[in-house]
Amino acid sequence: MAAALVAADAGAIEMSKYSRKNDRSVSVTLAAATCALLGTGVPAPVDAQEEPKWDFNTSLLYYGEDGDRVQDASFKSIIRRLFVDDRSLSVGITVDTLTGATPSGAIRQDTAQTFTRPSGNSAYSVPAGDLPLDDTFRDTRVALTANWQQPAGEKGLLGLGMSTSKEYDYFHLGLNANYAHDFNNRNTTLSAGIAMARDSIESVGGAPTPLSAMLDVGDVSNRNGDQDKDVMDIVLGVSQVISRDLVMQVNYSYSYSDGYLNNPYKVLSLVDGDTGDTLPRTTPLPPDGGPSGQFLFENRPDERTQHSLYTQAKYNMDGKVLDLSYRYMTDDWEIDSHTVDVRYRWPIGSGSYLEPRLRFYTQSEADFYRLSLDSAQDLPAFASSDYRLGNFDAITAGLKYGWKTRNGNDMSLRVEWYTQSGTVPGEQLIGNQAGRDNYPDLNALIVQFSYRFSR
Amino acid sequence: MMRKRILSAVLLLAMCAGCSSMGVEPWDRDVLAREDMQLISDPLEAATDDHIYFSKEASSGGRGFGGGGCGCN
Repeated sequence: MAAALVAADAGAIEMSKYSRKNDRSVSVTLAAATCALLGTGVPAPVDAQEEPKWDFNTSLLYYGEDGDRVQDASFKSIIRRLFVDDRSLSVGITVDTLTGATPSGAIRQDTAQTFTRPSGNSAYSVPAGDLPLDDTFRDTRVALTANWQQPAGEKGLLGLGMSTSKEYDYFHLGLNANYAHDFNNRNTTLSAGIAMARDSIESVGGAPTPLSAMLDVGDVSNRNGDQDKDVMDIVLGVSQVISRDLVMQVNYSYSYSDGYLNNPYKVLSLVDGDTGDTLPRTTPLPPDGGPSGQFLFENRPDERTQHSLYTQAKYNMDGKVLDLSYRYMTDDWEIDSHTVDVRYRWPIGSGSYLEPRLRFYTQSEADFYRLSLDSAQDLPAFASSDYRLGNFDAITAGLKYGWKTRNGNDMSLRVEWYTQSGTVPGEQLIGNQAGRDNYPDLNALIVQFSYRFSR
Repeated sequence: MMRKRILSAVLLLAMCAGCSSMGVEPWDRDVLAREDMQLISDPLEAATDDHIYFSKEASSGGRGFGGGGCGCN
C-alpha cells in the first residue's frame, strides 16, 4: 500500500499548486488534503480548469544503513493530468533497488556460526561474537499506482485508486476509495477512506513451516511454497481551519491483516536453559554445509488488528511554518507506539527555505517477541526475534533545503540521520546472554533530491 | 472498554460541535492557501517516509493508509 500512498499523494501535490494560484476556496483544498492524507491518491483539489494541464513530481532517494546492512536506491515519480471539470488522473511509479545484509534473528555466540541460506542452496558463516546477518538480501521492487478523482456534488470529492507492486519474492495488489465532504463554510472537512489489498509472499525457496528447524543445504522438506495475506485499512478524518494561521487534522485508522504475517527468512536460536548459548547441531555437518546450531523459523499470529490516532497541526508564524504531528498506535500483538514529528520551515530569500526536522519514535515489544527460545521449556505457539517487533526508540534528525529554479520549478534536497536503539526485556536473558549486546542497533543515512514542475 | 468508547464518541461530537464556530471567512484564506501550509506539503517525501518507517518499525500509517505493499516487513 505504500504504492497507494504515493498515488494518494499526487492529490496533495496538485492541491498545493491549486492553492497557490487560486485561493477561492481553501476549503476545497483542505478537503483534498484530507483525502490525499487518507490514502491513495485521493482528491486533490481541483479548481475549474480552463485547459488540461500536466504536473510532474520526481525524486531520487538514497537510504543506507551502516555496517553493510540494507542499502536502497530509489526513483519515484508521479505524473498528474488535470482535465476540465475538476477531474484528474494521476499515475505513479517507484523503482527500488535493494542490497545488503539484514539480521537473521539468531543470537550472537562466542564461536563462529554457520547458517543455510533462505534458498536452501548454500550456507554462510558468521564470525565469533558477531551479530548474525544474512547477506543474501538483494531485490528490485517496482510499484505502480493510478488514481482518479472527481467532484461529487458541490462540496464533495471522490477518489478511486489502485496500486500494485512486484519484487522478486512479493506481489501486491490493492484497491482504494475515498470521499471527503466540506461543512461549516468549508472550514471543516470530514473524510473517509477504505483500502483493500491482497499480497502474495513468494519466498525464496518456499515459506518454511513455522517453528520448524533450519535444515541442511539441499534439504527443502520443510518448505511450503507461496503464501498470501489480505489487508484492510479504514481511515476516518476531520480537518479543521482554526484561524487564519492554523489548520489541524485528526485521523483515526483501523487496519486488519489476515493470513501469512511471518517473515519467512527470520529464525530464532534454540538455546540451553542454563547457559543461554545456542544448542549445537546433533548430527555431523554434511559436506555441502548446514546450520552449526539449532535454529527455528519464526511464527506470528495469522491476524493483526491495529488502531491508530493521528493528529497534525500546521501553524504559520510570520511566514515561518511549524508542522507538528503525533501518532499513537496500539494493536492486538500488544505493541504500543508513540511518534512525534516536528518540522520548522524557515524561508530564506525568495523561493528558498531551510527546514530542520526532528522525529521521535518509541514502541513496546510484541507479546511474542523473544530473543531466543529456551530448550528447557515448551515451545511457545508464537515467537519472533525480529528486532522490528522489539522494544526500541528511534530518532530522525535532518535538514532540508528547498529552492526555485530560474524557470520557477521547485527543487529540494534533504539529508537525515535515522538511529534505532533497543533493549531486550531483562527477564528474557538467559545465562551468558546477559553479558552480550543483544539488540541490533541501526543507523541509517537518508538523502533525497526532489524536482517538481508543471506545464 | 464500553465506557471508554462512549467517552470518545462524546468527545468527538463535542469537538465537531465546537468546529462550527471556528474557521475563517473566504477572504481570510490567503495564508492557508500557501503551499507550505498544506497538511502534506511534500507528497513524495511523505510517501518515502511512510515506506521507510513501515520497513523499519512496527507501526505504519495514521496520516493515511499505512505503508506496506512490500515484502520488507
